[in-house]
Amino acid sequence: MKKKKCIAMLLAGGQGTRLGKLTSSIAKPAVSFGGKYRIIDFGLSNCVNSGIDTVGILIQYKPLILNRYVGTGESWDLAVADGGVHILPPYAGETGGEWYEGTADAIFHNIDFIDMYDPENVLILSGDHIYKMDYNKMLEAHESREADLTVSVIEVPMEEASRFGIMTADKEGRITKFSEKPKNPDSNLASMGIYIFSWKALRKALLEDHEKEGSSHDFGNDIIPKMLGEGKDIFVYRFEGYWRDVGTVQSYYDSQMDLMDNVENINVFTKDSRVFSNSNIYPPQYLGPNANISNSMICNGCTVYGEVTHSILGSGVVVGEGTVVEDSIILPNAVIGRNCHITNAIVNEGVTVDDRTEIGTADGDIEVYGKARLSI
Amino acid sequence: MKTIGLISANYQGNRFGELTENRTLASLPYGGRYRLIDFALSNMSNSGITTVGIIAPYNSGSLIDHIGIGNPWSLGRKNGGLFLMPGTVYGVQAEGTRFLLRDMLVNQDFFRKDDADYVIVTASSDVYNMDFKPLIKYHEANGKPLTMVYTKVPKGEKNVGFFMDIDEEGTVTSIKKDGKGWSNYFMDCFIIDKKFMLDFLQWFKALEHMDLFEIVMNNMDFMEIGAFEFRGYLGKINTAKDLLKVNQDMCDYGVRNEVFCNPDRTIYTKTQDEAPAFFTTGSDVRNSIISAGCRIEGKVENSIIFRSVNIGKGSVIRNSVIMMHCDIGENVVLENVIADKYVRINNGVKIYGGDEDTPIIIGKNETI
Repeated sequence: MKKKKCIAMLLAGGQGTRLGKLTSSIAKPAVSFGGKYRIIDFGLSNCVNSGIDTVGILIQYKPLILNRYVGTGESWDLAVADGGVHILPPYAGETGGEWYEGTADAIFHNIDFIDMYDPENVLILSGDHIYKMDYNKMLEAHESREADLTVSVIEVPMEEASRFGIMTADKEGRITKFSEKPKNPDSNLASMGIYIFSWKALRKALLEDHEKEGSSHDFGNDIIPKMLGEGKDIFVYRFEGYWRDVGTVQSYYDSQMDLMDNVENINVFTKDSRVFSNSNIYPPQYLGPNANISNSMICNGCTVYGEVTHSILGSGVVVGEGTVVEDSIILPNAVIGRNCHITNAIVNEGVTVDDRTEIGTADGDIEVYGKARLSI
Repeated sequence: MKTIGLISANYQGNRFGELTENRTLASLPYGGRYRLIDFALSNMSNSGITTVGIIAPYNSGSLIDHIGIGNPWSLGRKNGGLFLMPGTVYGVQAEGTRFLLRDMLVNQDFFRKDDADYVIVTASSDVYNMDFKPLIKYHEANGKPLTMVYTKVPKGEKNVGFFMDIDEEGTVTSIKKDGKGWSNYFMDCFIIDKKFMLDFLQWFKALEHMDLFEIVMNNMDFMEIGAFEFRGYLGKINTAKDLLKVNQDMCDYGVRNEVFCNPDRTIYTKTQDEAPAFFTTGSDVRNSIISAGCRIEGKVENSIIFRSVNIGKGSVIRNSVIMMHCDIGENVVLENVIADKYVRINNGVKIYGGDEDTPIIIGKNETI
């Protein structure tokens, strides 16, 4: 086996409870996004676009769709001979099995996996962020400083800084302090939850943290403070660009609308650092004789007889005659009957909406409609 | 009983102008995201056939590019899978021929090395979605070494190909080529006992320059042939007019549901993974097929728009087929036009094809 310079570990086990009905049967990274994508596409595409060909995907919560979706990794050009994607669920050993207790614990349980590839560095990613990033640049910065850990940060407005994990760094970018959601932040560099560790340093920290009583085995709460305390070489890498953590229904909605409304920020239409997806085979969309579409994104497999304005229709969606869909996101395979009115809403995957149903109000919160019906 | 598949792609159409200048009929783009051979391959795959040979012509670059090792049709396999076999040069010169004997002779190892009992053989340029399992069952029960698949066409309709007379027992009594006024139209699809096929090839070796059914037609006295009717939609593409018409048939609710949206029998194709199509405010699309990656700012009616096509502001596309990666400027009018891949139409250009019967064809990479 070739020794790897850097492999990626993508944390995809979380439930994302704040997304409510959207994640009641699907792990957050597998939630539909932007019509034909799923959230994990952004992280996986970044990996392959950055030349990282080995990705471990740590799963735990309701992984059915996620597993099927990722498959062999072929859709992201990650079905490669020595590397590729590996789905890593919690597993049992001689003394029984344990769930992943925290982000660092998930990696701890897969030390053997990482050792198999014996990489110099390990890139830790979250499976639920929307952004395009060249990890190679971050890796170069990490290596040129011979850092033990490099944390990717993004500048946030000072007044919002107390919502994030904030890094305080000196002029050279060396991190001097880390504070999780500080009341009085002294910096506006927010951690993006993207870390490059030298594997040697991380391996040691994970083993020690595992033994520590009372540790929550979390990168932000435990591993980074511990390494800071030990005086390790920890630096920030400043990322400039679009990055969203789709933690809430509102941010999930907004960041999808950004794909249409703010193409200059995040462009899925371009062939540069393309966003790949595992698209099912659908026929092209059919727009009926009275269809009226404006300012909308529509995917393969859709059949539209009604009116669609400033909305996203996922793959295989049907919109009946006389129905109006506005400022809404219809997730894949939802079937909307006739004479419905849907505004400011998200209709869940595979949901059937009866004729003459009204969903959402123009000035209310985004309404999530229905429970996802999983199908292949 | 085990059945394998053979798809003949070693023939050409000469009524598509530049569309088939550098590509096989089998790899002609169709229906927004497909190539014609997708139907033959998907029908095989959906009927549980896991060993499929394709007889390919010399100019099959685009075909090979499209099918690769057959993964989209689940034919990238260890046991069986996809076999690309070179056809003879003769094939593409004989227009109308679908099953040249010589092509089968030079590739008879494909039949020999497999332990299958039957072979389903089809052409590669017809649009239909058929489950071959009932055909196999019928052939097996009927006991005749050859069963031809036919569909009824309105009497008097002019058609290219073979027509059959069938008696009350369902036996083919005579075959006629390009038969005007006949109604049992042979749809270039048959199932044959493998052993009979190999014997047949030896018996008629001397006639290797002929089409299998030309030989059958002239030797009806000692052939026992069964007939199996297909009652679904058949899109037959012989001319540019057919190409426009069969593309537009996709807008028909019945055809779309039967051929393209059948949950049990998906038509598979190579995926390109384009972004969703985007429609600006002011776009106006009616009764049309639009594919992924398109950006539509103008008006589209009764047309088929392939992947990654841009249609500029103020432009009108009517009764047309616009293939992938075309770039249509602003205030353009295209009516009854078939545009091949990568065509660029500059702002303000207006092209009116004669009528639906004589659409204008614009060749690949052309700029107007």
